[in-house]
This record gives sequence, C-alpha cells and structure tokens, in this order.
Amino acid sequence: MEKFLDFIVRAGSLDRRIIFVVIALVVILPLFFPLGLPIRPTNSSQDVYNAVEELEAGDKALVSFEYGPSTKPEIHPMAIALLRHLFEKDVKVYITCLWPDGQFMAMEALEQVADNQYNKVYGEDYVLLGYRPGAEAVIKGLVSNIRKVFTVDSQGNFLDDIPMMVGVNQVKDFDYLFSASAGYPGTVEWVQYAADPTGVTMSTGTTSIQVNEVMPYVQSGQIVGILGGMPGAAEYESLIGQAGIGTSGMDAQSVAHLVIVGFIIFGNISFFVERRRSKKY
Amino acid sequence: MFFKRQLPIAIAATIGFLTLFGWFVDEPTIKSFVDDDATQWFDILASFAMFLGALNLLKMQAMKVMKKQKGWQYAALAIAGFAFSFTAGFILLGSYNVEITEFDDPAKVATVLASEINLDEKSTENVLVAVPEGDPYIIETPYFTKNGADNVVEQINAAGGTAHMRATDWGAHISTRGSLFNWMFRFIFTPLSATMFALLAFFVASASYRAFKIRNFEATLLLISGIIIMLGRVPIGGSISAWFILYIVVLALSAGVNTWFKNKTYTLASVVGGVLIVTIAGFIMGWPVDQPAIFYLPVLQDWIYNNPNVAGARAIMIGIGLGIFATSIRYILGIEKSYIGE
Repeated sequence: MEKFLDFIVRAGSLDRRIIFVVIALVVILPLFFPLGLPIRPTNSSQDVYNAVEELEAGDKALVSFEYGPSTKPEIHPMAIALLRHLFEKDVKVYITCLWPDGQFMAMEALEQVADNQYNKVYGEDYVLLGYRPGAEAVIKGLVSNIRKVFTVDSQGNFLDDIPMMVGVNQVKDFDYLFSASAGYPGTVEWVQYAADPTGVTMSTGTTSIQVNEVMPYVQSGQIVGILGGMPGAAEYESLIGQAGIGTSGMDAQSVAHLVIVGFIIFGNISFFVERRRSKKY
Repeated sequence: MFFKRQLPIAIAATIGFLTLFGWFVDEPTIKSFVDDDATQWFDILASFAMFLGALNLLKMQAMKVMKKQKGWQYAALAIAGFAFSFTAGFILLGSYNVEITEFDDPAKVATVLASEINLDEKSTENVLVAVPEGDPYIIETPYFTKNGADNVVEQINAAGGTAHMRATDWGAHISTRGSLFNWMFRFIFTPLSATMFALLAFFVASASYRAFKIRNFEATLLLISGIIIMLGRVPIGGSISAWFILYIVVLALSAGVNTWFKNKTYTLASVVGGVLIVTIAGFIMGWPVDQPAIFYLPVLQDWIYNNPNVAGARAIMIGIGLGIFATSIRYILGIEKSYIGE
C-alpha cells in the first residue's frame, strides 16, 4: 500500500513533457480514428439555426468576420457552416470585417463555400466589403450609411457598380446579422451599436471563452442564439446536415477534455496523499 | 501652454459633450454630427493610429537592436518581418495574370499551357473551345513577378496566340489569391499564429494538473464547475450517463459523512444505502442516459452557463459600464488629463 502511495505522490510531480506528449496523442489520434460521438445541439445553437431558417430566398444577411488564424479552429467551422446554410437558402450575403485578418478568413470561407460548393456569383449572390479600421465607429457608420464607410469593396469595385448593393444603404436594410467574433471589436459592439438600435435580428458565433461575456445578451433576447466555440460549430453542422471540420474536431476535443479532467483528478489524489503524509509526520 | 493644455481639454470637452448629447437631443445637426461626421473622424484617426503604431513598433525594436539589449535578435527579426510585410503590401504587387484572347494554332498554345502551368487535358480542351468563341481565358495562378508573366505571354504569342499580362489593381492585390502578401499571410502568418494559440492546450493541461487543487471550499466549487463545463460542452459529456454521476455523488456524500462523523459504520451504511437506492431507482426508470436530468452533464453545464455565469457576467458588465461612465465624465469635464501627459 505504501509503495502504491509513493507512486501516487511521485506521479503528482509528473514531468510536464509527459503531459505534453499525452495531450498531443489524444488530440491527434481521434483525428485519424474518429469515434463518431453523437452531437446534441444545445438550445442556443438551435436558436441560430431557427433564425436563419426564417429567412427567405433573396433576403439579405450581413456577416461580420472578426477573427484571425489563432482562433480559426474555433470560429472558421461555424462561419463555413453558416455560409452553407445561408447559400442553401439563397440568401444574399454581405461580408464586412472589423479585424484585418478577418478579410483573409472571409476570402477562404467564400472560396470554399460560395465558389466551389454553391457556384455563387460575386456581386450578385455575395459581396466581400472588406476591412475598415475604427471598431465601433465602423459599426456606427454602417448603421448610418454604408457608403460613407465603404466606397469600394475588397476588390476595388465601386459599391454603386455592384448589383446586389442596389437599395442597400444601412444596417436597417438587412434582414439578419451574424457576427463571427473572437474578441474586440466583435459581438458586443455589434449588439450595442447595430442590432439593438436598428432591431435587426442578430446571432453570433464566438470562441468558447467568450460565451460567458456574451451570454447575458443572449438571455435578454438581444442576440438570437449563440454558437459557442468548436462544439457550437459541430452542433450547427449537425443541424444543417453537413458534417465539417467542427464535427471531426469534436472527438479530439472530447478526448482531450476527458484526459485533462483525468489529470486534474489524479493531481488532486496525489495532493491529498501528500498532504496527509505531511500532517502525519 | 494654451496649445498644450487648455486647447486639447477644450476640444475633448466640446466633442465629448456633443457626442453625449447627440443621444438625448433630437436636433438634426447634432445627430448628423454624432452619427456621420464624428464616426468618420474616428475612422480617419484610427487609420493614422495604425501608422503611428507601426512607427512606434519600428522605433522600439530599432532602439533594442542599436543598444544590443537582451533579446535584440528577436527585435531584428521583428524589423525584418515588418520590412517584408511592408514590401509585400506596398511595393511588390506579386500578382500578375496572363490573359489569352485568341490564337491561330490551338495545338501549339496547348503545348505552352501544358508545359508552363501544367494545365490538364480537360481544362486545355475547355480553353481551346472557349477562346475562339470570344471568351478570354485568364490563367488562374498569378505570377509573383512581372517578368514571369511576361515570359508566358511571350511564349503564347510566339506560338501564334494573343496574350496579355494583367497586373492586379493596387489594393486589391492584398486579397488576391496568389499575391505575395496573400501568400505571406496564408503560409507564414497563419501557421505561426495558429501554432502559438495551439500551444495553449498543452499549457492548460499542464497547469491544471499542477494548480487545480481542492485547497478550500471556493477552489472545490471552481473545480467541480470547471469539470462539469469541460465535459458537458463536448459530445463525450452527453454519453456519460446521469446514473454514473449519481453514483459519484453518492460516494462524495459518503466521504462527507466519513469526514463529519469519523465513524466507519456510518460511512459504510451511507455508501451501501446510497448505491442501493440509486440502483433500485435505475432499474425502475430503465437507466435512461439523460435522466434524472439534474445529474446529466450537458444539462448541468447549461444551467451553470445560464445562471451563476450570467449573474457574474452581468455584475462585471454593470461594474465596467459604471467605470466607463465615470472615466468619460472625468475626461469631458477635464479632470482626467493623462492624454495630454499630465
């Protein structure tokens, strides 16, 4: 028994490199050998889905990309799933970016979904307005007059020359607003300066860590549904019936979380044994 | 002194009052100022702030290199990275396309296309059909250099075709796939940035193993809610039966009985009694995975997110809001003067 307790105490100060190797393995292996765990959509993901379902062909959706490569694994899958849903319903998609790297994320998502999957036409079915610095001021500008913020799109085309921009002058002209956000400026600013003052239905997709911050707005009804991190993306993929990178990442995340919880429990057992011994002597 | 002190304060106070009253006063001129002009001013200032930020970065890093401070090599790398990004963004377009408008001998042009851009047979066939019909073909992959594109143009022209080099518009080249800046973003910045963030998973695992200890009541609450959130948010949490959690609860309660009474009989009775009750209840209810719901991890996680979490988040938001309000008032009234260096 004493030897076993010695082992537990020793394991309590496990070399961090062993932990790193274990985490690497539990993340990589499920990507190669998927477990196919069932995905249960939460109410907040279902709300986002329902909000998009209520849109009709020809309706206008403003999608804002506020994330970069660092948070791409969490936000990009949900952005892709949302675009798929919008294009599936023939909704016209207008994209803005409050982060400079958001424009590159948007381009990548559009190439994958609009160009390669749905063969949508630029300027008629979707438009990438691009990035403008100014955070809240940009949002306020869009609420007031889009053309004062964007005279040209990301390709340098004048807004007045783009067919789908006819009659679109301010945020109020949109039927739906979605913010794919990884921080500031992002979801909170869109609620405060655009969705709330104009009454346009807004949903969001954020990193898992941001959900806490955004949840009060969801509960108050100012935001209709939230996709939280990669699980949110996987749930949305299951709702639209198109499994993507979010779904395949869920097995890895599930096992990784389980192993981290295992580490925490084991660390605590070791901590208790050690504390008991130190009290004894 | 007037220009350094009084004037900036007067400007801040005037603009501050105007934007504040813009929300409450229904006067078209003020409203237009707040909604349009002030936001455009902000956009312009934000753009200049980017230049200032870039200059500041260069200054700080250059000072580090010149004074050979600790880690100056990293500063040199930062300057080199900046110079490369600047060159890719402002000087080298790195995006030149070749457009074929017509040709006399399809076979010769097909040979050039196959050798130069490895165009497959089917695509070549499409090009050979489309171009004579008046539909110009633009080679999708852009060339980094003007010379590279010119070479291909020359080869196509020599093969009896008519081709032109087209440079992507300045500004649009940033978002054009294949341009130097785009290449840099996709193949340097993206992997580096993703790698840095991915390292978090390893540090979180290692740190939680070492630091997440049940030292007191608050730490225990944090640990339990943390575990519930971690498991409840992912699909594996939905596969863990509520009955399994119930058994854990029974064992935890029995541990509590043991600590409280320090009596083995009581402890044994609580373990056996608890396990028996849960098992009988399980048989009666048919062991549904998600029942009793209050012990089902996804439901528990939802409850934590929607109740204690939202309560805490609201409190923090209200606190921040009041703080912003107080600070804004200080700025508008000229009490806070840190922005002019006081």
